[in-house]
Amino acid sequence: MRSRVFVALLAAVALGVVAATASAAGSRQAANRLTVWLQVDAQSGWPDVVANANQQFERDHPGWTVDVQYQNWGDHLQKLDAALAGGTAPDVVEMGNTEMTKYMAAGAFADLTGSKSKFANSGSWLKGLASSATYRGKLFGVPYYAGSRVVTYRTDLFKKAGITKLPTSLAELTADARKLLDRNKQRGFSPIYIAGTDWYVAMSFVYDYGGSIARTSGGKWYGNLDSKRSIAGLNAYKQFFLAVSRASKTTDEIHPNPYDVYAQGLAGAMLGPSWFSCCVGKYKNVTAQFVMPSHVKGQPMPGFLGGSDLAVPVGSSHQSAAVDWIADFTSTESEKALQAKGNIPNATNLLGASVNERAAARSWFVPTAKHWVDVENGNILRNMLAQILTGKLSVKQAASSASDNITRVLNQS
Amino acid sequence: MLGSRLTPDAAIAGARPGPRRRVSRARVARGATPYLLLLPVAVAIGAILGYPLVDLVRLSFQRYGLFELIRHSGSWVGVANYSSVLRDGVFWHTLLRTVVFTAANVGLTMVLGTLLALLLVRVSAWARVVLTAGLVLVWSMPVVVAVQVWYWMTNFQNGVVNYVLTSLGVGDFFQHDWYATTFSQLALVTTLIVWGALPFVAITVYAALAQVPHELVEAAQIDGAGPLRVFRDVTVPVLRPVLLILTSLSIIWDFGVFTQPYLLIGQSKITPGNYLMGIYLFEEGYFRGDYGRGAAIAILMLLIVAALSVVYVRRMARMGEEAT
Repeated sequence: MRSRVFVALLAAVALGVVAATASAAGSRQAANRLTVWLQVDAQSGWPDVVANANQQFERDHPGWTVDVQYQNWGDHLQKLDAALAGGTAPDVVEMGNTEMTKYMAAGAFADLTGSKSKFANSGSWLKGLASSATYRGKLFGVPYYAGSRVVTYRTDLFKKAGITKLPTSLAELTADARKLLDRNKQRGFSPIYIAGTDWYVAMSFVYDYGGSIARTSGGKWYGNLDSKRSIAGLNAYKQFFLAVSRASKTTDEIHPNPYDVYAQGLAGAMLGPSWFSCCVGKYKNVTAQFVMPSHVKGQPMPGFLGGSDLAVPVGSSHQSAAVDWIADFTSTESEKALQAKGNIPNATNLLGASVNERAAARSWFVPTAKHWVDVENGNILRNMLAQILTGKLSVKQAASSASDNITRVLNQS
Repeated sequence: MLGSRLTPDAAIAGARPGPRRRVSRARVARGATPYLLLLPVAVAIGAILGYPLVDLVRLSFQRYGLFELIRHSGSWVGVANYSSVLRDGVFWHTLLRTVVFTAANVGLTMVLGTLLALLLVRVSAWARVVLTAGLVLVWSMPVVVAVQVWYWMTNFQNGVVNYVLTSLGVGDFFQHDWYATTFSQLALVTTLIVWGALPFVAITVYAALAQVPHELVEAAQIDGAGPLRVFRDVTVPVLRPVLLILTSLSIIWDFGVFTQPYLLIGQSKITPGNYLMGIYLFEEGYFRGDYGRGAAIAILMLLIVAALSVVYVRRMARMGEEAT
């Protein structure tokens, strides 16, 4: 009996020793491994650009490997929080430009101000991206790429409906949508598909009519959706949505993906990021894009300038290697490759004349408040849009309740 | 029980000097055996449950957000987290909504589950096998997969539910939005949860029904009791302990439910207007990254569930005493 216990103990100790050596070996290996978190967009859209940057990095850093782990927009912040808490944060992390401020304010990222000259075109970075990565005058992120929002449409359906020239105002676009509807009687067909609670589209109407989401005054933030101009924009959005889209009034722009509806033949056009043209299935050859027109004839409607930055978490033990990798990944060559995939490159000197680059000429950006991401994740805007479109509340009621919520959230300590 | 009877013996034995010592040592060893056997379990539970619980309580008295998370240290704020939660109107609305939701879910689960169990007793052998197999399949389906299937079935554009209802002539359900109102969102979640919980309740109650003495039922029938009377006065008293346990477990599960509502309703439709407690905790604690406040909500939830269960268990126990 006793000897059996002894044997068991011995086995346990032996196992422990093995485990300890194994983990030591693991950490030794990790010393030369750079962990990078990118969003799935890179995996599905430009894996070759990632592979080229990795090759370049590994060539310059013999013995190093790059471990790229792809994340989803929906839950990557919780994963990042958990990794920061556990001390297992990646060495490079891609952040949406609307997500940066909260993390910069909390001191989550390494100060890259001193390395700025290492990044290509850093003198002419897009303002919207560069300012999203700057906090109190210091640089905490490197602009990666931007994307504007355009109208992706079916050239064959437009032709069949007798639309000979592209619309130059919101009124013309609405009239064209009516023509499309007349020629396409199948149930559930949207002349222009917009998900009901797609706040990127709705807020473009708000900014087009001179309104805004929030304004700042005396160091305090105020929700501004209940202002006269914002309400005019929301009213215009409601009318436009009801006239052109048969999407659910309560759904977001991921459930379903607008391009899936489009690929099913249930849309004459759709509003969204320019890369939506990637996934239109059999309609690839009859798909083109134009700039969303403003209610003022001849102007583009201001679009949301989304984008991503690359940051280095403070916990990373390979900060200088991380900087080198970012420099490789945002080189002029990389950015041109991204541009070829329909993205907007990170610097003005690289800009071309494509539809999405022209659409970026008039753009808006979310309030740069520390707690903005809480407004976004708290679905304050989506909830307001669902209330407006379903008629549960009037535009004025919904806007003023959302506005109060925004004021409260943006000013929390 | 065994331990408490042996402890005084062992203590006395240990205190006694002299020649009896050798005998008492054996006694001590015998007395200690149950504790030694309990030790691994106690250590495991202490490590897995006890330590996180202590940590949670500690966290609930700290300000612990993203800033503190990165520095791995919070600052003590006393009961500030608790008072901020208790002063939050959203908390009280959510609590009320969750209590109603839990009552509906537990009630439906128990009633339908018991009815299914009674059905299982009465049907022929082959039907019982088919029914049981169906129940086991439902039970073995992972929650996330089940949510996805339900989500597809109730899809706005291509959902089979809308298609079938329209084809049957129930009405025009083309592009019917099942997620348009809080009530219909939570009603969908309820059907999903009840559907998922039925197998466990039905099969457990079915097993318990085997313990109802046949003679008793026959005797009651001979005395002129109808089926309802037999059920109330013969079957239910026998089932009571099982029903009690199932109800308590269901309350605990449904009160803190998270996966089904969060995934089925979808993050982009979650607002304070349709929070359940589990979601409130997640949104305030994790999504906002305010972990101290999240911990306070978790502790409050724990206390509420404990209170709900205690009230129910005591009432059932008293009813049991009165009945016997």
